[in-house]
Amino acid sequence: MKHPSQRFLLIKISIIAFIVGAISLPPYLELISPFWLLSFFIYWLIYSSGKRIFSSAFILGILLDVLQGGILGQNALALVLSSAFILNVKKSFFVSNITTQQVYVFLGALIYLTTFLLTQLLIQDLDIKWLILLSPLLSAVLWPFIRFLLAKIK
Amino acid sequence: MRLLKLFLPIFFSIILIVLDTRFSYLDNFKKFTLTLLSPIYVIVDLPSQVIDWVNDKGADNETLIGENDYLKGQLIELKARLQTYNNLSLENQKLSKLLNSSYQISNHNIKLAHVKSISQSRLSNKIIIDKGSNDDVTLSQLIIGSDGVVGQISQVTPMYSTVRLITDPTQHIPVKNSRNGIRGITKGMASNKKGMKIEFIPLGSDVEVGDKFVTSSIGNLQPSGYLVGRVTSINDSIDASFLSITLQPSQNMNNLELVLVVKEKK
Repeated sequence: MKHPSQRFLLIKISIIAFIVGAISLPPYLELISPFWLLSFFIYWLIYSSGKRIFSSAFILGILLDVLQGGILGQNALALVLSSAFILNVKKSFFVSNITTQQVYVFLGALIYLTTFLLTQLLIQDLDIKWLILLSPLLSAVLWPFIRFLLAKIK
Repeated sequence: MRLLKLFLPIFFSIILIVLDTRFSYLDNFKKFTLTLLSPIYVIVDLPSQVIDWVNDKGADNETLIGENDYLKGQLIELKARLQTYNNLSLENQKLSKLLNSSYQISNHNIKLAHVKSISQSRLSNKIIIDKGSNDDVTLSQLIIGSDGVVGQISQVTPMYSTVRLITDPTQHIPVKNSRNGIRGITKGMASNKKGMKIEFIPLGSDVEVGDKFVTSSIGNLQPSGYLVGRVTSINDSIDASFLSITLQPSQNMNNLELVLVVKEKK
């Protein structure tokens, strides 16, 4: 991260993502709510020339794990793997129309969810509420709003 | 090079998952980091505090007088019930002396806490309360509601604490049957968010559907005697070494507003 403004932007949008993610919702809405940190991180990853992407994803994932009182490393692993996918399609993502971007966000969120559920399954029993499978879809649906909001903040 | 950059965070994440699941080396790091991040809880909690404040200021005199009268009535009723309890406690002390028994009804400090509307992980059964280390709340303290045990403190920051509910699959609480003192350990069920199971009760033990299980003070780590739940089903398959018992928590975990932090008097 050579440019300090990129670092500042990352800190700013991470704090917003943590705050939005900590807002309590009714149980069913909570299950399907988007992966805020992932969506916000994708924006930073695509629209900034930030370096140290994987280490930033790792640190933010750890902070989210601590904030959510979960197993340390769970969100970090999911965020790093999703970032790797988005980074792979970064050039295409940047020039794509909004619908294609939503497809990329959906796939990134799907990787995030799969990783998260797999680690959860390995650590303890897992009861999959099928509604949770809607959260990648909602991440994709809300992507245009997130992009618009973060562009204003930027 | 890019693969190495990707591999390292993945490797460290897996190491952290293993370390955090198996050992407690990272507890101090988590506590320190959560204290640094706790202003986020304050920001998220701010709107509900403002709404509470406005509601308090906006409540009319008549409503407050009515509420006050109702609460006074409740207080008198509870004091009357407490008299019976005090008599029983005295009787118990006398009997304990006669029988030369070391059993004593334990004396507890309780602290009222509000449940905050701050979200935790979507897969875990946790709540956040507005009491933290500034109010002498410490890890592992028992949390109870009006109808029974709610859970145990799993994380503490100066102003807030996280409570892991008894229905969480990672939460274990030593319990005993209030009818005959048979002991076991509860565990939340991932397949049933509203249920628990009791482990380590041998086959052939005297447990019936409807029995009440209360907290048991194994090693005096937990305050004892608080209602945890009632037995809803028992499966005594001969293939297993222990009974498979499911328990319905006595405390309804939905819409919890006020809870009590229980601490044993020293």
